[in-house]
Order: sequence, then structure tokens, then C-alpha cells
Amino acid sequence: MTPLGRFILATLCGLVLAGLVHVATVLAIPYLAAGDAMARARATLANDTSVLVHAAEAGGPAEQAPAQPAEGWLPPQDPAVAVGVCAYDLDDGPVRITAETGPLIETIALHGRSGAYYAITDQAAVRGTVELVIMTRRQFDEALATADEDERNRDMRIVAPSRQGFVSVRVLAGLPSQQAQANEAARSVSCTIDGPDE
Amino acid sequence: MLIEKAALPASGRVTSLRPKLPPRLLRGALRLRRVGTVGLVLYALALGAVLGLASANWATRGRYPFGGVVLNAWTAWPKIGSRDADPYVRAIHARTGEIPLALGEGLLLTALTDDAGRRLDPSCRYRIAGATPPARAWTLTVERRGQAKHAAQAGAVPPPRTGFTSTEVLRDRDGRFSVIVSPTVQPGNWLPMPEGEGSIRLVLRLYDTPVAASTGVLEREGVPSITREDCP
Repeated sequence: MTPLGRFILATLCGLVLAGLVHVATVLAIPYLAAGDAMARARATLANDTSVLVHAAEAGGPAEQAPAQPAEGWLPPQDPAVAVGVCAYDLDDGPVRITAETGPLIETIALHGRSGAYYAITDQAAVRGTVELVIMTRRQFDEALATADEDERNRDMRIVAPSRQGFVSVRVLAGLPSQQAQANEAARSVSCTIDGPDE
Repeated sequence: MLIEKAALPASGRVTSLRPKLPPRLLRGALRLRRVGTVGLVLYALALGAVLGLASANWATRGRYPFGGVVLNAWTAWPKIGSRDADPYVRAIHARTGEIPLALGEGLLLTALTDDAGRRLDPSCRYRIAGATPPARAWTLTVERRGQAKHAAQAGAVPPPRTGFTSTEVLRDRDGRFSVIVSPTVQPGNWLPMPEGEGSIRLVLRLYDTPVAASTGVLEREGVPSITREDCP
């Protein structure tokens, strides 16, 4: 083979290799990333309430947001929305998420390793409260098996695809004057491990 | 790669001129050829590694490469928050730490061009107008790459406004709105063009919208138009 032919062959091999490396890298990034939302949210695992990760700050300098929270790792977000997160680990039992909804639009999404698997908005609130119980399939079966037949259970039960994940809360401040309220709402969602009776 | 480049012309000349060359040079050429094989293999490996990693890095830097639904100038991203997001979207989220809007929460729409297909120019004035999208609330923001860095460096005053929400936008009698994005002050709904260097991106977020389930609603009702009004 002529040297030029060999060179072209080597280049083609290199390009095929590049394609393989590209695909492998893109697929591997989510598993190797240390700074993804999941890993960052894990730091808040011990908290009983959600942590504000993005404060609503629409309207610029009119209202200086009181010290941007330290956990501000999100890329540019909607400036009118306060985002709170709360990590959970179902190894210790089902997790109960309770959010008091106010006049502001509030959405709650449950994220697992592979992305969001459930979302609900404040329109589903019963008497001003959205309450969810996240459980594994096993915990769900257990709860069904031990349920008292006379007592109606009104919990909204959601089966999580994996044991670890996090809950994100977004509260929209339609007007700059609602920002403080939105931040407070995003900070005050409680996520606690449910009692053994569940 | 360097070795190969050096070896190529030498071996090429040697093969054509072989009969006239003294044996010492011939041996040298043969050695070059052997080095050439090793060099070629190394070259292929290096090419694969460098190109593969660089392209993966480029594709997962921050903006979604594909998977959107194009509606005029806007691109809707209904799948980014769902479990069947494509690997690129997942890689981008893993790198940036983004918490995407889930399917039931809302819908993200972005625009990099105006309705005529021209890239958004930071020095121009644009009018974004139309009917309110079917959603409980929406926000329209303008983003610029490298904006945060610019603000940190200059320590400049933050812009008076980075976005509009559906609550605060001024509307006309029919409930339609019109937002003007411009570097200079405008009457009505003025959205200042952000300072900085990078490209401009308009972001429309619909919250608690029936559109999230199928973008067909948006196709029917239409998305806000983006018209370039004048450029200096």
C-alpha cells in the first residue's frame, strides 16, 4: 500500500475511533459527573425542609435578594422563580413531602437518577396542602398489605424508580413584591421520613 | 503524527528512487517505514481520542443539540425533563447541574433567531408579540452567554430587568402583549438587551400548561412572533 493510502486508512481508523470515544464519553458523563443536581442535592439530605438553591430576583436592584444562598450552583434560571431542593433516601423508609401552597404558582417535581418521574402543581392541593409519600415498590406493597381496611388512606403514594433522588420545588413570583414570599415557600417544603406505621 | 509527517515524503521518495540509492539510505528508509507503521497507529489513536473527547465536550457544553420541536423561531423542549430524555440532554444536565422543568411542571421554549431566521443581534431592537400562550403563567427572559462573567468582572449595575412574567406584562385591549428587547430605553414593555459578549437567547417558560403533554396545542395557537425592527 502506498504511504498515502496508509495515511488515509489511519485517518479513517482514527475517525471511527473518535466516534466510539464520543458516544462512550457522552454516555459516561452522567455516571461520572460530580457536580450534577443529584450530587449537589445530596448535601441537603440531613435537612427536614427544602433548601433554597435559586432565589427569585426579577426586577433587578429594586429589591436586593438577601444574600444569594450558598448552594447557588444552578445555571441561569428563570429570574422570577424560586427553586428549592430536598434530597431523599428511601433506605430509611418512605418519605413524606408536605408543601403548604399559597397564592403563588408552585410546582413540585420528583427526580430520580434518570430524570424527573413525577410532577404536580399546587392546583392539586387539598385544603392548601400538597402531600405526597414517596416509596419504593416494596414499601408500597408493604403498606398495601398492612393497611387497615376500615380506614381510608388519603395519602398520595408515588413509587420511585430508585432509592435515591431529590424533590424540586419551583415557586413563581409574578411580581417583584412576591419574591420574598416565593423564596419562603421554596424553602419551607418539608420532607421527612414517614413513621413506621406507614 | 509528527513522525509520520516526516516519514511520509521520505519513504515516498525512496520507493520511487530505489534503484539509484546506496544501501545505507535504503536501510534508513526501511527503518523509517517501520517507525511509520507505529506512528500511524499512534496517530490514529491520538486522532480518535482528541476528536472524540473534543466533540463530546462541544456537544454537551450547555445548549441542547437536538430533540426539540421547532415552532417558527422558537424551539420547544418537551422531553428534557422526562425520563426518555436523550443521552446528550442527560450529559448536559449532569455537567451543568441543571434541574430541568419536568413534563407536568411546564415547558421550556428557546429562540436563537428571529422569525426571518436571522440570528439575534445584541445591537438590534426586537419586538416579541402575540397572544398569551395557553398556560397558567409564563415568563419571557433574555439570556446572554458569558453574562455572569461579564457582570462579575465589571461589577456593573445589574440590568433593571431580565424578564417579564405574565402577571406584570402590559397588554392591549385584546389581551395580546408586545415586549420590546432593545439596548436603549423603549416605551411599553421594555426588556433591556443584556451586556456581555456571547450570543443572545430568548427563553419562554410556560408553567402549568396543557401544552406540555403535546406541542400540537402550541402549533395551533401559535407562539409569540419575534420581529427585527431596526438595527444601527
